[in-house]
Amino acid sequence: MHHRWLPSSRTLVLLAALVGLSLSGTARVAGQAPSPAGSAGETAAAPYTPPRTPDGRPDLQGFWTNSSYTPLERPDDVNEAFYTLEEVLAREASAAERESGQTEPGTRADVHYDFSQFGLDRSQSTIARNLRTSLIVDPPDGRIPPMTAEGRQRAADRAAERAARGGPYDAVQNMPAGSRCIIMGGAGPPMMNAGYNSNYQIVQSPDHVMILTEMIHDVRIIPIDGRPQPPAGVQQWIGLSRGRWDGDTLVVETTNFNGKNPFRGSSERMRVTERFTRVADDTIRYQFTVDDPHTWTRPWTADMPMQRTIGPIFEFSCHETNYGIANILAGARADERKAAEETSR
Amino acid sequence: MTGKESFYMRTKLVVATLAISALLGSAGSAPVRAHHAFAAEFDIDKPLQLRGTLLKWEMVNPHSWFHIDVKGDDGTVVTWLVEGGSPNQLIRMGVTKNTIAIGTELVVDGYQAKDGTNKAVGRNFVLADGSRLFLGGSAPGALGGQ
Repeated sequence: MHHRWLPSSRTLVLLAALVGLSLSGTARVAGQAPSPAGSAGETAAAPYTPPRTPDGRPDLQGFWTNSSYTPLERPDDVNEAFYTLEEVLAREASAAERESGQTEPGTRADVHYDFSQFGLDRSQSTIARNLRTSLIVDPPDGRIPPMTAEGRQRAADRAAERAARGGPYDAVQNMPAGSRCIIMGGAGPPMMNAGYNSNYQIVQSPDHVMILTEMIHDVRIIPIDGRPQPPAGVQQWIGLSRGRWDGDTLVVETTNFNGKNPFRGSSERMRVTERFTRVADDTIRYQFTVDDPHTWTRPWTADMPMQRTIGPIFEFSCHETNYGIANILAGARADERKAAEETSR
Repeated sequence: MTGKESFYMRTKLVVATLAISALLGSAGSAPVRAHHAFAAEFDIDKPLQLRGTLLKWEMVNPHSWFHIDVKGDDGTVVTWLVEGGSPNQLIRMGVTKNTIAIGTELVVDGYQAKDGTNKAVGRNFVLADGSRLFLGGSAPGALGGQ
């Protein structure tokens, strides 16, 4: 059996907070030095010389996580762009406590396995700490810009398409792509954190960069040899990416999405520009700009750290062993039979 | 009493216990970031407790499955399949298939599948000595320093 030291999670969180505070004078925290928000071209203020690959490029290789408690959008009751380190540690502690807390028996939330028991609380793995109050840095209010009329119409059309197929469990196509093990937000682009297993491996060669996403198995193979983007008709779930070096920053442009996995309601004509900059031995600064005039009134940009973590990435053969979908559909049919019996009574 | 009746009575007991704890109230529910809708797969009205021995553990994604042999009072053995979490983080923490030996006695609180088959979600896994299986609530940042 795997024996563990088991003081209460509250004790540990407080301990971690104290250690964090005592080190705060020297700790490197992404976003600690507030910088003008919004400029995707900005680089970290601290001088840092990244290790190099044999061909002289910054070495981004290794295992990284973007697991975070920082929301994409700034909460309604927050006006500042940054928390203090003390505030962040307190927020992390209370979020960790909520995550490890037991759910109330007999509630919907309780119909689930326990995240803590499987080590899936974010607090049980590496966190890419961020002092920002939102990952979005532009617009300056930290929120996704308003949708265009075209974007709103598309959202309504998509909802109508689903409704024509019935309820959420009447057709497998009505279930989320993640539940169906096709794709989750970790692959992106943009690469958003998952609730757990938010891990990546980056491998570089002189003409390609490979990004393996643990959750739920996607691999991005990005040419950086200057080849052109294929015609618009060539489309993929994760779009088609082309990379280039802009000084010490890897810039990746992605278009050619198939539109089946919209990001926050995006269209298939979304363009995502990602910037990867190694700003410390244990940190890659990951910035992305989403430009989709068919959906939003203006482009928007987020800025988040990727923190070095331990490897390897374990296989996530989600599709092969996703018994949940069949069970959910069987459950929905059982509900229907029960309802029919009650009606006929 | 048949195994089925005894299971039914146990379930009723659990329901009664749950009703009492619901009346007494407890801390707010933790947010759950589900891979899929568990409440669509399992029945909130069929809480149960299974006591049995481990036959097999499928350490698979997106969710692992514990096969547990549950012996009724009449000696009949029924195999239950119990859904648990993604194994990847456990593997990072050093857990392997050999961590829990086949035949280990487990007590599982959970909810039965809506379709009435012998499947359940494992709300809490406890060993015969009362300790929780795996690492519940382990150190925040337990892997962060590695």
